[in-house]
Amino acid sequence: MRVEIRDYASRSREIIKEEPGVREAVTGATIAFDEKRRQGYSEIDADAWRRWAEGVKNHTLTHLDHYLTEAEARLEANGAQVHWASDATEAREIVTRLAKQHSVRSVVKGKSMATEEIDLNLALEDAGIEVFETDLGEYILQLLEEPPSHILGPAIHKSLQQVQRLFADRLGSAPDGDPDTLAEAARLVLRDAFIRADMGITGGNFLVAETGTVALIENEGNIRLTTSLPRVHVAVVGIEKLLPRMTDLAGFLQLTARAATGQPIGCFVSLVQGPAVHPDDDGPEEVHVVLVDNGRTDVLAHEHAWEALRCVRCGACLNACPVYRQTGGHAYGWVYSGPIGSVLDPGLLGLHEAMPLPFASSLCGACTDACPVRIPIPELLLHWREEAQEEGLTPWKERAALAGLASVATRPGLYRLAGRIGSRLGATGVARALPMLGEWARDRALPKPSRQTFRQLWREGIE
Amino acid sequence: MRGDSSRERILARVAKATASRQRLPHPGALVTPPADDPVGGFVKRFTSSGGEVAEADPERSPSEWLTGFLGGLDPAVAGVAIGADVPADLRPRLPAVAAAHAGAGISVAWGAVAESGSLVLPSTGTRTAQLLPPVHIVWVPEGRVFARLEDALAELQDGLPAGVGLHSGPSKSADIGRTVVTGVHGPGRCIALVGPGSTASTGVT
Ligand code: SF4
Repeated sequence: MRVEIRDYASRSREIIKEEPGVREAVTGATIAFDEKRRQGYSEIDADAWRRWAEGVKNHTLTHLDHYLTEAEARLEANGAQVHWASDATEAREIVTRLAKQHSVRSVVKGKSMATEEIDLNLALEDAGIEVFETDLGEYILQLLEEPPSHILGPAIHKSLQQVQRLFADRLGSAPDGDPDTLAEAARLVLRDAFIRADMGITGGNFLVAETGTVALIENEGNIRLTTSLPRVHVAVVGIEKLLPRMTDLAGFLQLTARAATGQPIGCFVSLVQGPAVHPDDDGPEEVHVVLVDNGRTDVLAHEHAWEALRCVRCGACLNACPVYRQTGGHAYGWVYSGPIGSVLDPGLLGLHEAMPLPFASSLCGACTDACPVRIPIPELLLHWREEAQEEGLTPWKERAALAGLASVATRPGLYRLAGRIGSRLGATGVARALPMLGEWARDRALPKPSRQTFRQLWREGIE
Repeated sequence: MRGDSSRERILARVAKATASRQRLPHPGALVTPPADDPVGGFVKRFTSSGGEVAEADPERSPSEWLTGFLGGLDPAVAGVAIGADVPADLRPRLPAVAAAHAGAGISVAWGAVAESGSLVLPSTGTRTAQLLPPVHIVWVPEGRVFARLEDALAELQDGLPAGVGLHSGPSKSADIGRTVVTGVHGPGRCIALVGPGSTASTGVT
């Protein structure tokens, strides 16, 4: 996906002004997701689960070379083939080469942020290969030639009426078809694609080192079909997706589902160890796992940002974010949007490329409270902001405004005053980066100012 | 080869990135409260996710009962796709057809999980029968219902097949207008037949 982050502010304004339906649809969907997440967390000791998950991921990331080689050895022992891609170009080359080697004419895909990240569809289409996105939301967007706007619900910004018009036009369904009729129209096209496909391509939610298991969570069954029907399955997996043990996976499958949709687990989970070897197994003849770096080792090396690699892509932080709710993901200009995009994109792409995303936040902290692996997103945003200022990446007006904000924020009296009049000021660095701030800040209070600086709190360990 | 050098490069970069970082310990097992009624727990979770549960009539043979059950579905099932590992006494007396044309797929679960409301289905049980028909019917021996997913995966690990599916309800999507529709790609109905028995291979006896 092309990186167009620079235009974040203008694109946000445009979406709010010219596509008011987006805000309505995204706000409605994210509030509903967030409520389900709260319900899902309330059924377990969520704090204990989240601390445990944070611990497992921290352990894995600090032993990543060990677990990567263990996963590779297990996968190979299972009969799968492992490929390593330093960057998006190499990942595209590997998958396209595999497709050519197997004379692939048609591909079915499961929803995968990693393949969006490396722009895989375009490369396959350029090679003359037909590609079908099979997740219903992704399929809608493929017909519209739009990128996904949410990790979990890629088409949440689309209304029923928009899908009715699209399917009437492209699939010949009734212009007033209900969701069941519309889904059936898509199912017919995609069922045929599944039967014809030579290759299935997915991402991977987790990769278990101990067993060489690629684990995939979903609700539609399209990923089960993608990993089962075509003769070749390719999983494109970021190197941060490792988990040490199968028993760790049990916790992560459930916690991720609860964070994402409040469900105890996705309706379907695929555990892929390798190609079909048993005579009664009608699965793929070949399984390939492409391990992708594409900036992840830079993030891992970063003193603070490495914590963002714990992300399990559940989308809970997007759902909780008052800023994301105003525009949906397209404003952010790259595949990872919302709070996680704002901390991950600077690490994956370089801070320069990802400006002004670290400023696209009110630092309210709702994202961290929702996050199943407790990524301290506001703290990471502040680190990126600091780096941006040090590197002179913020325009002088923003820098001045931010310096003002920082000094106000360390003086409680002034900060409280600013808080009271904040929504009328509207000219701070944050407000400049957040053109929608005025809209939602109207009835919101700024966070209570601290008597200590952020740095002091950070050093002492904020809880 | 470029691929090989990428492997070395990535591993070297990972090693360098983590070299000066404190190696954090694994926190150990996640402790969750024990469940005293795994079968009841499974039924509750599975049905709350849209799965259905039925019980075979103990007075009739499983095969005979299932044949009648399939005939009573709406629409009545005329042809079935049967998983390769389903024992003869659990197969309905209906014509076996290709999974893509079958009215129902018949499987036997390796096990089930109360905590997540999941059926554990190995790939040796014919994936197409588990996925393509509009209705999926799964025999679940009561003695194979695990309280926790971790326990099921730990045991499964010993003879892990190439693929495993955890099915925890029917195929669902809310991608159109946020309305939940079922049967988008996988089966729109998933029916667990929970009955006596304690081995996956012989199923319900
Ligand atoms: S940062 Fe946390 S909440 Fe956001 S997508 Fe990642 S895991 Fe989910």
